[in-house]
Amino acid sequence: MSTRYGMVIDLDRCTGCGACMVACAAENNVPPLPQAGSRTGLTPMLVRAVSNGMEGQARREVFIPILCMHCEHETPCVSVCPQQAVELDQGTGIVMQMPQRCLGCRYCMTACPYHARYFNWWDPAWPQGMEKSLNPGVAVRMRGVVEKCNLCHARLHSAKERAAASGKREIDPADYIPACVEACPTAAIQFGNLADKDDLVFREAHSADAFRFLERIGTEPKVYYKSREAWVRALKESVSEVEVKRG
Amino acid sequence: MFPWTDGFRWTLNHIIFLSLFFAVLLTTVTTVFSALWRAVHVLQTHSAAEICWKAAFAELPDSERSCRHELAGRVISRKCDNAFDCRRCSQYSQFAVLPAAETGADMGFHYPKNRFYHRGHTWVELQEDGTLTVGLDELAEHLIGSPDSFEMPEVGSEIELNGTAWRMKKNGKEIQIRAPIEGKVVATGSPEEGWYLKIRPRLDLGDPMTLRHLLRGAEIRGWLNRELERLQLQLRTPNTAPSLADGGVLLDGLMDALPEADWETVLASTFLEG
Amino acid sequence: MASTVFTDRQWIERGAERASLSQFLLWLAPWVVVLAMGIYAGGLCLYYGLNQTNMDNRFAFGLWIFLDLSIIALGAGAFFTGFLVYLLKREELRPILNTAVVVGFICYSGAVAILMIDVGQPLRAWFTFWYPNTHSMLTEITFCITCYLLVLSIEYIPILLRNRQLRKLPSFLVFEHQLHKLMPVLAGVGAFLSFFHQGSLGGLYGVLRGRPFAFRQGIFIWPSTFFLFILSAIASGPSFLMLVTAAAEKVASKRLVPRDVFQRLAFISGILLNIYVTAKAIDTLIWLNITSPSLGFAPRQFYMHRPFGTSLVFVEIVLFGLLPAFLLTYHSTAAGRGRLLSAAGLACAGIVLNRFRLTVQTLALPTLAFDPFLQYTPSWQEVASFAGVVAYGVIVYSLSYRYLPLFVNAKGDGSHVSVD
Repeated sequence: MSTRYGMVIDLDRCTGCGACMVACAAENNVPPLPQAGSRTGLTPMLVRAVSNGMEGQARREVFIPILCMHCEHETPCVSVCPQQAVELDQGTGIVMQMPQRCLGCRYCMTACPYHARYFNWWDPAWPQGMEKSLNPGVAVRMRGVVEKCNLCHARLHSAKERAAASGKREIDPADYIPACVEACPTAAIQFGNLADKDDLVFREAHSADAFRFLERIGTEPKVYYKSREAWVRALKESVSEVEVKRG
Repeated sequence: MFPWTDGFRWTLNHIIFLSLFFAVLLTTVTTVFSALWRAVHVLQTHSAAEICWKAAFAELPDSERSCRHELAGRVISRKCDNAFDCRRCSQYSQFAVLPAAETGADMGFHYPKNRFYHRGHTWVELQEDGTLTVGLDELAEHLIGSPDSFEMPEVGSEIELNGTAWRMKKNGKEIQIRAPIEGKVVATGSPEEGWYLKIRPRLDLGDPMTLRHLLRGAEIRGWLNRELERLQLQLRTPNTAPSLADGGVLLDGLMDALPEADWETVLASTFLEG
Repeated sequence: MASTVFTDRQWIERGAERASLSQFLLWLAPWVVVLAMGIYAGGLCLYYGLNQTNMDNRFAFGLWIFLDLSIIALGAGAFFTGFLVYLLKREELRPILNTAVVVGFICYSGAVAILMIDVGQPLRAWFTFWYPNTHSMLTEITFCITCYLLVLSIEYIPILLRNRQLRKLPSFLVFEHQLHKLMPVLAGVGAFLSFFHQGSLGGLYGVLRGRPFAFRQGIFIWPSTFFLFILSAIASGPSFLMLVTAAAEKVASKRLVPRDVFQRLAFISGILLNIYVTAKAIDTLIWLNITSPSLGFAPRQFYMHRPFGTSLVFVEIVLFGLLPAFLLTYHSTAAGRGRLLSAAGLACAGIVLNRFRLTVQTLALPTLAFDPFLQYTPSWQEVASFAGVVAYGVIVYSLSYRYLPLFVNAKGDGSHVSVD
């Protein structure tokens, strides 16, 4: 059975707490930004606050976690990288970024429809003492390379090691949970195998309330969103009259 | 990039793309090396001098490229576009049969009739033993005066037509004298002896083509006229207009007499920019 | 006939009128200062990182990429003139050939210099060659521009070797002569390479599904921007050559090329510009009415943000497109120099505007429904680096003009004898 890891994010449950962003930063050794308020930070998981543009009683807000969508079809970043530093892993469906091979040309960042890629504009630096909190399982990237969410691939790697140690061929799904999924207090982010029809994520992704952003571009993203609110579902296509607040 | 590189995939795309790239690279590199190889080949044979001369000739202004037949008065006006190579001029014969202007006085210069003159102001004279003597003509000698030093080629070396025959130094300026004929140096002379080189020519002296490119007879006066006109213009003191003169007799050793003149230009024009 | 080789005059063509050495150095001085500032700014970026620029995660490409694309398009005059002279035997353009090679060399070497600062890890530049991704337009560009810069450098060598002192060495002169005979081969290679990389620069944006402002359909793997970029490059290249030569004539205060060369270049530029504007208009209509809606984007979305309104389309296609095309084509025989040069200037401005819209406007426009319209202003380091490249160009060109036979008839006597 093939594996296609994906997510379904329930936007009705997301409170905008940002725990997923913090967990992601901690897991992936993301350095703090030297300058606040600029767009040069690293946020492989980024929660956006979006309102329906109305005021008073009619105003509604939603929080949308944006991360790499791990596009399945004609993955834009994979096809444009000049030195094949990005690859759609056929075994897992994860779009793997190799910072060691990245030249820093940033063409993939231009190509990504979801703006889910981030460049290391700064040398990574942690305040004194904070380097003790670094995750030893994830390599720190140098300045000048692009990075993005890779579905906590280090955790997949540990899960495989554990399975191999106990003589199993397949990993135990409970061993591989990305940091953002683990941290979410309302379990808004569901993670699983989209190729497995019995998987919860598969069922959720094919429910009536589920949608994907910019579907008509045709990249077949593997991160689904769902909401019972019609106005939220309407955000999936590009409509510019919605008011925007940066989260 | 190469088949043995880790991660190389034998897709059609790869093959087409990399084949084109390597083809372009190969073409470019081959072109450069081909030019280099041919250049080395040319330098090893005797053709380098010819190429250098043609390039120098291309830099001459029109006024210095008058055909010998114009100088002789056989035609009103004709400019050479063949690097003064009368041996290979297709129209030489048709102009040579035309009547030349009357030869008058030599204007005080000694240009013996048994010598043939190269436009770089050297002469050749046939010797009985089949060699040629080469020397500087009188205009050149008057211009330079007595040289500070001269550098002759080695006996036994080959010199090329229009290549460098010998070098002279005067007042810090270096002068390269163009060779009037190709051949092997059998002896070297000096200014006191009145000749500079004895050459065994490579071509057959019995063939009129061998010395065809050298000036003689009626052409000399016209040529000297032009040269003197040019010298008057080039040697005049700055801020004066050229004046009408009757030629007169040149002083000996002009380089010493007029040190402030633009000798670089004068020497380049006279000895055809060596 | 050298007195000593250390006199500046000795290095200048015999009989060529050039300014005195002190005047020349005075001319160079401000450009050297600008170049120094550019090197300093570039050095800052290399040392501290790209945070020295105002580019960010949403504006991953900025001023540098925009200006790089522009000067590569304007430098297309080099390959196109070579193609016309050596392969199509249009001898009337031969007087402009040397200057075209120098302009091309300056444009491409400048662009490559900026690119080396623009990437995050310049020392990894060889990765593209070692692990090429044949699906990526940027791979194609990297390979092509590297090869083409090599070809341009080789084409520059004969011009360098024709310096008055250098050509006195028989080995240099003979090598130059042999290389000159093989120029048509290099011109052909240059044309082949240029065709592909000018096109791929267009393809760079045309394949971006995620940027509907840039995305185009096309033929096979090549989006329409591939062909539009080639057309616009060969249309603006001759115009740019006209502007550079006119500027050189102004500074040198003498006529450098026969009068009809300007007219020829203007005519060629005009015809190609006509074709380009027609193709672009058709392409724009297809894009607005078919391509974008199929991806879920309405045309009005692209023009609802100031200052990128629909007036910009008018400016690019009519004011900087149709107008110069008309002026260059139909007035090239009778028009005065001033009008031709204005038209050439408009044409070049149009191509620069096109590159700007495709690089900067593409990134500014929102894609996701909740994206804002974004602003970007280049930092002084970005501007200074590029100003340094312009200064480098002026310096190289000035040196080439002074010491090398850039214009065959620059002596003014109107004669020309070919060496072979």
